Amino acid sequence: MKWQYANNTEEYMNPGHLACPGCGGAYAMRLALKALGKNTIVVIPACCWSIIDGPFPLHCIKVPLYHTAFETAAVVASGIRAALEVKGKRDIEVLAFAGDGGTLDIGIQALSAVCERNDKIIYACYDNEAYMNTGIQRSSATPYGAWTTTTPREDFKKERKKNITEIIAAHRIPYVATASIGFPDDLIVKFKKAKEAKGTAFIHIFAPCPTGWRMAPELMITIAQLAVDCKIFPLYEVFDGVKYVINYQPKNIPVQEYLKLQGRFSHLTEEEIEIIQKEVDFNWELLVKKAKG
Amino acid sequence: MKESLIFGKKKVVTGNHAVSYGVLLSRAEVIAAYPITPQTQIVELLSEFCASGLLKAKFIKVESEHSAMAACVGAAAAGCRTFTATSAHGLALMHEMLHWAVGGRLPIVLANVNRSMGPGWSVWTDQNDSLSQRDVGFVQFYCESNQEVLDTTIQAFKIAETCLIPVMLVLDAFVLSHTSEPVDIPYQEDVDQFLPPYKPKYFLDVNDPRAFGGLTSPDHYYEIRYKIEEAHRKALKVAEEVDNEFYQIFGRKYGLVEAYQCEDARLVLVTSGTITGTARQVIDEERSKGKRVGLLKIRLFRPSPIHLIKEILTKVEKVAVIDRNISFGHSGIFSQEIKSILYNEIRRPMIFDFVIGLGGRDVVPDDIREIIDFTYKADYPQEMVYFRGVRL
Amino acid sequence: MKKLDLKVKDYPELAISWETTLINKTGTWRTFYPKYFPKTPPCNYYCPANENIQKYIALSLKGEFEEAYFTILEKNPFPSITGRVCYHPCEIGCNRGNFDESIAIHAIERFLGDYGINFVESKRKIEKLTFDKKVAIIGSGPAGLSCAYYLLLKGVGVTIFEKESYPGGILFYGIPAYRLPKEIVKREVEKLTKRGAEFIFNKELGKDFSLDDLTKKYDAVFLAIGAQIEQELGVLNEDANGVLMGLDFLKAINLKRKIKYFGKNVLVIGGGNTAIDCARVALRKGAKVKILYRRTKEEMPAIREEVEEALKEGIEILFLTAPSKIIKDKKERVKGLECVKMKLSEEVDESGRRKPIPIKNSNFVIKCDTIIKAIGEKVDLAILPKEIIGKRTVLADEYGKTNIDKIFAGGDCVTGPKTVVEAIAYGRRAAYFILNYLKNFEIPKKESVSLVNYENLNTYYFEKQKRIEEDRLPVNKRKRNFKEIVATLTDQDVKYEAGRCFSCGVCNNCDNCYVFCPDLAVLKKNGEYEILYDYCKGCGVCAHECPRNVISMFFEEEK
Repeated sequence: MKWQYANNTEEYMNPGHLACPGCGGAYAMRLALKALGKNTIVVIPACCWSIIDGPFPLHCIKVPLYHTAFETAAVVASGIRAALEVKGKRDIEVLAFAGDGGTLDIGIQALSAVCERNDKIIYACYDNEAYMNTGIQRSSATPYGAWTTTTPREDFKKERKKNITEIIAAHRIPYVATASIGFPDDLIVKFKKAKEAKGTAFIHIFAPCPTGWRMAPELMITIAQLAVDCKIFPLYEVFDGVKYVINYQPKNIPVQEYLKLQGRFSHLTEEEIEIIQKEVDFNWELLVKKAKG
Repeated sequence: MKESLIFGKKKVVTGNHAVSYGVLLSRAEVIAAYPITPQTQIVELLSEFCASGLLKAKFIKVESEHSAMAACVGAAAAGCRTFTATSAHGLALMHEMLHWAVGGRLPIVLANVNRSMGPGWSVWTDQNDSLSQRDVGFVQFYCESNQEVLDTTIQAFKIAETCLIPVMLVLDAFVLSHTSEPVDIPYQEDVDQFLPPYKPKYFLDVNDPRAFGGLTSPDHYYEIRYKIEEAHRKALKVAEEVDNEFYQIFGRKYGLVEAYQCEDARLVLVTSGTITGTARQVIDEERSKGKRVGLLKIRLFRPSPIHLIKEILTKVEKVAVIDRNISFGHSGIFSQEIKSILYNEIRRPMIFDFVIGLGGRDVVPDDIREIIDFTYKADYPQEMVYFRGVRL
Repeated sequence: MKKLDLKVKDYPELAISWETTLINKTGTWRTFYPKYFPKTPPCNYYCPANENIQKYIALSLKGEFEEAYFTILEKNPFPSITGRVCYHPCEIGCNRGNFDESIAIHAIERFLGDYGINFVESKRKIEKLTFDKKVAIIGSGPAGLSCAYYLLLKGVGVTIFEKESYPGGILFYGIPAYRLPKEIVKREVEKLTKRGAEFIFNKELGKDFSLDDLTKKYDAVFLAIGAQIEQELGVLNEDANGVLMGLDFLKAINLKRKIKYFGKNVLVIGGGNTAIDCARVALRKGAKVKILYRRTKEEMPAIREEVEEALKEGIEILFLTAPSKIIKDKKERVKGLECVKMKLSEEVDESGRRKPIPIKNSNFVIKCDTIIKAIGEKVDLAILPKEIIGKRTVLADEYGKTNIDKIFAGGDCVTGPKTVVEAIAYGRRAAYFILNYLKNFEIPKKESVSLVNYENLNTYYFEKQKRIEEDRLPVNKRKRNFKEIVATLTDQDVKYEAGRCFSCGVCNNCDNCYVFCPDLAVLKKNGEYEILYDYCKGCGVCAHECPRNVISMFFEEEK
């Protein structure tokens, strides 16, 4: 594999940040900023990144960062965009960078409104499938079968993961994409496209959390690749809410291979794994149909 | 909309539109708001100003008051003069972001039309919505007239930007918000002279990348919070200076409080909002009958103009605080404030508290007269609070 | 809680940062640390000559063929030869074999060898050295030539005694020209003559001179006489006319000598390279050929490709078949061979393979007029002094030191019949020891080996790619000629194939460690990487995502 963008040595993030070892969320930011560059303002709601960037008076990323309340990332970004427009600063990107809780749950209202207004911001959700910063509680992004501290093994999460990508695409904003930290170049390209979008762009990033997923930190990337290759998290784009493009043909690996590396799924029986496999296959077929148009 | 038909004219406008004109003249750059009765006319007129190009602002039509304040937070953090307006439940929903505006030291101006909280649903006025936000750290002005509303709006931006603290101006639902009065609309040049463009001390600058509002440990939090207290103390002085400066240009001033007929008064009523106008009329009548009564209007609620209140009220025998609000299980909120200010004084008056007019029930001259009579006759308050007009 | 000097006036109005996280040394969190720890790729490990295969493949990928060629020469002077005849255990070890197909290392080596002969050697100016020491080398096979080469490089003169009239030993008269053209051997030998090697032909140890003669005249003697005597079958009538020795047969062909009793129906007995060579040579000489082998195809020691080529060319191999009696006619001429069918028993012999045992009453007769014995060669110990010989071979340590001062030995005469590459390796090691003996040359130390296995790789970053196939002369064009069958690759093909190399254990700047570090603790500068231990949290992502196992994780020492 030859890198096209990811090995570029321009970095907009300092070492010394406070993420756990092997943090997919920290890494996602590194890639996003590589794509967007210096002229970027980042908005961060309550999420792991509230901690990762460092406590006052420290700052990790090399662009301005506004910490805001849990449910407000999207709209604070809109406010910043409005201000930049008033000031005539057109060459600055505004990136809202939120976790799955801040996006799929508490932040969905403001996000939906921003999408409806088609405000020119990039909204990236780094999805680690639970409230990790507060100590691994289930969110609506937690997949079926997963253990969290609020869904103990005896009563693991029975509900399916909310499909935020489809929800956002339904707003028919110009650009919606999924990305995985296991595919850095693809992720960077998507942020570059988001930058060019004439309105709101939404990128849903699969970002493993070794701490919350009960897995070895060195597997951060491998898990993010497996999720894609098992079709659990396909890489695709939706243009204007209607045109679907699948960016990567998964290697079609059984979900078992993905699940078995993570302690949060260790209690699952073969039957339960089969339920997951069927759901994944069904979703994939649905996506393929959409991509065929 | 033609500028020549607006500026420098006396127009008959509602309290809500007075806010809109104030915002127009202040050249707000970003407005974000969500409709709620009885605030809607403020934003409707502002929408028209923006649409016509009269006001060169970005108006973000958000999906909630929470987002309205959040959008203002973002825009102000990026260096713009920002405004929002709301009422009651909207203000309550904003609560979290009010803290953000204060902690972020963002000079946002918020107009709150005092409306009672549900349930049951009520659209009529009382002060519990704004007073519930007492401790978030906003500066709070309570207005008596539509002219004061317009003028305070303009002053609010200046105070906010000078002290890096957000300002809430409060007007009564319907009694002001939907009631038309003749209002002098200043010339834009004069307002521009009074209120130059906002130059932010801190803003999101890609050439000086910093993190705003990161995790603050106990090692640092208190000192930074203390800075907010410093800002409020500064605002107390600045509000007075701004009021004087405003007077120099526009010939109108309001003071932080207004002492009316207090010089030789034995009894002083303490009021806020539109009740002040009613009380003023009754005081005039009572004075003509020879009663030594006066009136203290609280215009600036936060920061608390403690020195002024002390100066006036330590000279009188009795004080009757008229509270269109209630802190359940205790008393009216203004009375608590007055009591706490005077408690350590050697000469202090008897303080009577009257809770009245909740949910927009009319407060008429007779109510004020009865309060004056009652207080006059009583030796001392036998109750912590008197519930005036409730059908027990 | 630490005491802070900061007062209210020292703070900004809000919690706004004034420092970067660079002051936050997250390296203290670490319990494991990553380290660039290059390892040995299996190709290098399994190469008997310890060639740095990974390195010359990497150079080839960049088109730096000359550098690549010199890389081989450090360990093996004759890549044009080994590229053609080596059994390439490197390819068996090659990790890519577990992924799709191993790298065609031999083909790259051959290309580089030919590139060296054609484009490098011709332009190299070799100064003739004056030698203050001289070594006699007996035998000009691969061990002798290799030893001579490395001695010459270090300024030691050599005189090579060869009993035949051409240099090369087995390379010249053993291996058929369709596998190794004589021209190639000549060109490789030129590397020695250009450097001042002296050849004395047609002189045989024990007949024309003795070891004593040489030890008197030379500073050292290197014995590299090979293993040339064909083993007996141990069956009746082995002395019949038409029973030929494998190596003798090949030598006669290669030297274009006439062969008595070579007929039309040839049976070759044996499963090694000599047997296959004999069969294919006999075929080219117009005979119908069958091979008898007492075990199965799996156990055949011959190079697999050669077996396949033999089958393609129409040679029949009778597996699990052993000779039991040679049948001759009245004129003492072979007229058939009685055979017996074998089966593999559970018992394992000293070679580690299952021992074949005869099946009772399974005897049958094959008609033939010629039988070529090729079941293995022995060393001619009769011509050697007793002090240095063992039961079957010359006694010497891995550096060729024997029990007699000044006399060194290496190659097949020490190891028994092995391969060209092993002889070359032995020759080089012996040269180092002789240099040490004569000039206190420091013998290169053996490096400790940390082998990269397939399981250590992260193959996610590799895509399946077909192995390059060399052009081969079609079977119908091989009749009655000794034209070389396999062609040398082109530059483009070599680069393609080199591009398939995993570069196991050796960093090739893929950037994965830099790209994937979530803590920005890998610095990339001028094509090199540095781990910033001040910040590295030891997550292990770099080590895990290194496709080639260059980075290893180690426990932090207690500090």
